[in-house]
Amino acid sequence: MTLRPTNLRTRLTLWYVGVLALLLIVYATVVLAFQYGVLTRQLYHDEVQDVVTVEGLLFFDQAGELRLTQNYYSRPQSHLLVDRLMEVRDLSGKILYRSSTLHNMALGGPLREGEGDAGFDERLVRLSDGSHAFVVSHIHTMQGRTVVIRLGYDLGPLRDRMIQFFLMLLIAIPLALALAAVAGQSIAKRALRPLEQMTARAERITASNLGDRLDIANERDELGNMARVFNHLLERLEQAFRQLQRFTADASHELRTPLAAIRTISEVALAKPTNAEAYHEALGNVLEESNRLNQTVDSLLLLARAEITPPGESQPVFVIGDLVTEVVALLEVLGEERSVKITQRQHELATVEVRADRGLMRIALMNVIHNALKFSPRDSAINIGFAQPEASWLHISIEDEGPGIPSEEYAKVFDRFFTSSERSTANTSGVGLGLSIAKLVVERAGGRIGFDETFHQGARCVIRLPYNSTVL
Amino acid sequence: MSYPSSKVLIIEDDRKMSDALVSGIRSAGYEVLAASTAEEGFFLVHSGQPDLLLLDLTLPHRNGLDVLRQIRKEGIDIRVLILTSHNTVDDRVEGLRSGADDYLGKPFSFPELLARMDALLRRFLPPTAPASLKVGDLSLDPKNRMAYRAGELLDLTPREFDLLLYLAENGGRTVSREMLAKDVWRETSRFTPIDNVIDVQIARLRRKIDDPFNVKLLQTVRGLGFSLREP
Repeated sequence: MTLRPTNLRTRLTLWYVGVLALLLIVYATVVLAFQYGVLTRQLYHDEVQDVVTVEGLLFFDQAGELRLTQNYYSRPQSHLLVDRLMEVRDLSGKILYRSSTLHNMALGGPLREGEGDAGFDERLVRLSDGSHAFVVSHIHTMQGRTVVIRLGYDLGPLRDRMIQFFLMLLIAIPLALALAAVAGQSIAKRALRPLEQMTARAERITASNLGDRLDIANERDELGNMARVFNHLLERLEQAFRQLQRFTADASHELRTPLAAIRTISEVALAKPTNAEAYHEALGNVLEESNRLNQTVDSLLLLARAEITPPGESQPVFVIGDLVTEVVALLEVLGEERSVKITQRQHELATVEVRADRGLMRIALMNVIHNALKFSPRDSAINIGFAQPEASWLHISIEDEGPGIPSEEYAKVFDRFFTSSERSTANTSGVGLGLSIAKLVVERAGGRIGFDETFHQGARCVIRLPYNSTVL
Repeated sequence: MSYPSSKVLIIEDDRKMSDALVSGIRSAGYEVLAASTAEEGFFLVHSGQPDLLLLDLTLPHRNGLDVLRQIRKEGIDIRVLILTSHNTVDDRVEGLRSGADDYLGKPFSFPELLARMDALLRRFLPPTAPASLKVGDLSLDPKNRMAYRAGELLDLTPREFDLLLYLAENGGRTVSREMLAKDVWRETSRFTPIDNVIDVQIARLRRKIDDPFNVKLLQTVRGLGFSLREP
């Protein structure tokens, strides 16, 4: 089992502390190394200076013994040299002088080849008692004799200081991290507080108060942006929900009307015994009403089917002109009955291919053309034309010579169950869903449908469909 | 044109629907058995040996499709027509795959049900392709696509001829608009424009075959559809 904090605040804090710890460790390491380097350099400089000083103090006495001027210790700045380690050898390796601080231990082994020849050679030396010393060697000629001076400092104190420093860091870093964790936790809490408020608010939004929105504290920060997007989502949800509510109400009304008729017809027929002809008549009426019910249900199912069709892009292509011709051929007979001539203007655009569910598009075109036919007076014409006012957009226009659409109804004709106040003439039949279905189908295919408000010789329905110009 | 020797079993749990089907099918000349549960139906399949089963899919306790699969597994020789309100393409495909011979969505028109039952039972009888069909003094020559009334050649469009032929083939029985939309216009679904087209086409056909004559053959049956027969 892995232990994973699910809480965003804790996760943020952990990340933050982790990164900080890494940074502090790297920083401490660099500082330690740098400090060590600086101190070592300092030691080297001190030793070089000491060697130069010592050179001035060394002399051979009459017996040929190498000695150090005794007033050396009287110099105040030289007290540091008390703990220095020094050894002087001649070129044969014979020890001429060894400071008492060495307690007769050798400061480095026998002479090396060319030791101290070219200046101040530095090296690390291990003494026989196990301690370490940092040593410089220098060759020096005095009173006609050449000697090698080795001068060094015990590294013990330096190392002690470094360890002290390290221990200090070892305590300070966890302390800093602990403080950072506490601070981080509270900062994260503060930063995430609007989120908690939003969550609480969103939790209270249900179907009954879908109008509620989240508060936006700061429009421009990330959380404000999220709240804004969320509010947009709520907006769309609310719209869809209202539409659904309205639609359900309309649908039940539309279903109830034929149901009421069926009920009344049956009740009246059964109220008192009557002759077979009257029963026949009543049953015929009942069947007609039930057909109407059935058509409404079919149309609702068709709408539902159109709603869930995949968008146009994922559909196969077909030639739109052929489909229009097919629909016109089917409906032509309706026009012929009332001398309404349907003409499809020949146009090269009729051969373009569009992507859509062909079966649904066929129903859509059929509904639009049927609608035009319904409102066409005797001896009139319906013109179907193609145009391409914008690149990659095909416009199919269906013009009739009927009464046109009252200006206040342009937006409403596509509403579900809409029947015009003026247009609901005797020859209109159907359940008022034809144009809604057409609209839904065209929009699912990525297109638009609408009536041209500038057209006044009748009604002009324009279907705009995207098409891929490369298929031309 | 029913097959009086045929026995039909109805498995349907809605009592009113079942009663209506029983009386309608019985008066069409079939022998009828009815069951309201899958178990009862299953028993009747074995004991009654019906030729045709009308199967509702939403039965209590047991799905109609299970019954169908069981019947097919046992290899019982029976035609099965599914009657259901689950009427999407997928439902149809599943029903037919499970071994149904035909599928009719509720609500259906009763004439269509009878026509389909006939078709299912006829399918296994030797085909009888008549050289000509006669209704009163109207005669049709399907091979040359000609129609005559009182010896006079009628001037019909191809669609009008198809319509007339379909009506004649149904031998005086009423055909519904659904049947016409499906079988003559080959439309997969029925909607308002198609209904209007059918009505107009019928009116035009009537003008050609009936108006000049005293005896009217093409009858409108209110709420049901149309039939071609001598009054």
